[in-house]
Amino acid sequence: MSSHAAATQVKPHWGGGGVSPMGASYGKLFMWFFLVSDAFTFSGLLASYGFMRHKYTDIWPNPGHVFHHFPFYEGSIPLAYVGLMTFILIMSSVTMVLAVEAGHRNKKKEVEKWMLLTILGGLMFVGSQAWEWYNFIVGTPEGAVRNILVDGVWKDTVVHGANLKYNEYGLPVFGDFFFFITGFHGFHVFSGVVINFIIYLNVVKGTYEKRGHYEMVEKVGLYWHFVDLVWVFVFTFFYLL
Amino acid sequence: MEFNDGYPSYELMAQHDEDHGKNVRKVIWKVFWILLGVTLVELLVGFKAESWALSKIFLQIFFISLTIVKAAYIVLSFMHLGDEVKALKWVVLGPFLVLIIYLILLLDLSEGNFSKIDRYPVDKNVSGAVHHSPEAKH
Repeated sequence: MSSHAAATQVKPHWGGGGVSPMGASYGKLFMWFFLVSDAFTFSGLLASYGFMRHKYTDIWPNPGHVFHHFPFYEGSIPLAYVGLMTFILIMSSVTMVLAVEAGHRNKKKEVEKWMLLTILGGLMFVGSQAWEWYNFIVGTPEGAVRNILVDGVWKDTVVHGANLKYNEYGLPVFGDFFFFITGFHGFHVFSGVVINFIIYLNVVKGTYEKRGHYEMVEKVGLYWHFVDLVWVFVFTFFYLL
Repeated sequence: MEFNDGYPSYELMAQHDEDHGKNVRKVIWKVFWILLGVTLVELLVGFKAESWALSKIFLQIFFISLTIVKAAYIVLSFMHLGDEVKALKWVVLGPFLVLIIYLILLLDLSEGNFSKIDRYPVDKNVSGAVHHSPEAKH
């Protein structure tokens, strides 16, 4: 009944005998831990955004007035474009979870199809974000007067659009947070697309079919859903509130 | 010949057959429609917020609770956290419970009010800040 004897009989394996804690594989566990820490990064960004917004609540720009463009449409429809972006990302999350489900049935062709659609959705989202940035950076033809530094002198100047230094729609800090938070999220989407593509190539090559399971698809799926999850929060705090 | 790429093998409890897969897909599409519906409601309310003269505090509670509903569906259903063991759920969600309590108590109820104090005269007139003239306000 010596526990020492029992322990020595277990096959030597990193992490202790191939039994991973909490009933999930090590790969999935560490993806979860990474996502928890990444979520804290985003929480920090959004909390600081909320703090500044609360501070300047009376002069904060109304997002509906800033983001009202829609492709091939001259007029203004607030929130429509960002609604479309949200739809694209939710849709690609659905195709991702369908790829995971197909992986559980070891259906190579189906996993390929859904992974490819997920990658397409991701690319569409990044493209949409680029278009959103473009409109924000270019701004309106009228512009607004801001006190900015021109050749070493503070001058009242007509500025168009927004960048990290000035913002035609209001406080520069609005633009700073917008570029940083949506940029950080967009970079997550971009890396998600790259990782998804690598996993897709492995699926096509048949690596996971030979391995007998599609757990890698599941792990990359976790990351992809996380990207969608962050967007849900960015959407609420940046565009709706 | 046995294929071995050095990848550790695990108990794959997640594998399922065709019949079970049908049920799983049904749940996936149900969650999709819920997420889409909630997003559309959010957009409608966000679109009409001004004309319906909804109060700020109502909008905040409304949007944040719907966001948490969406987040819960994504995490518990799409990321399958709902199917994991209790310990893993706590490991993942526990830290955020602490964070949410912190944000409500400290930022919203006490510290947030200090942000209203202009500590420096430059606070509202920093580089490129808003001129308090009517044409600069949207």
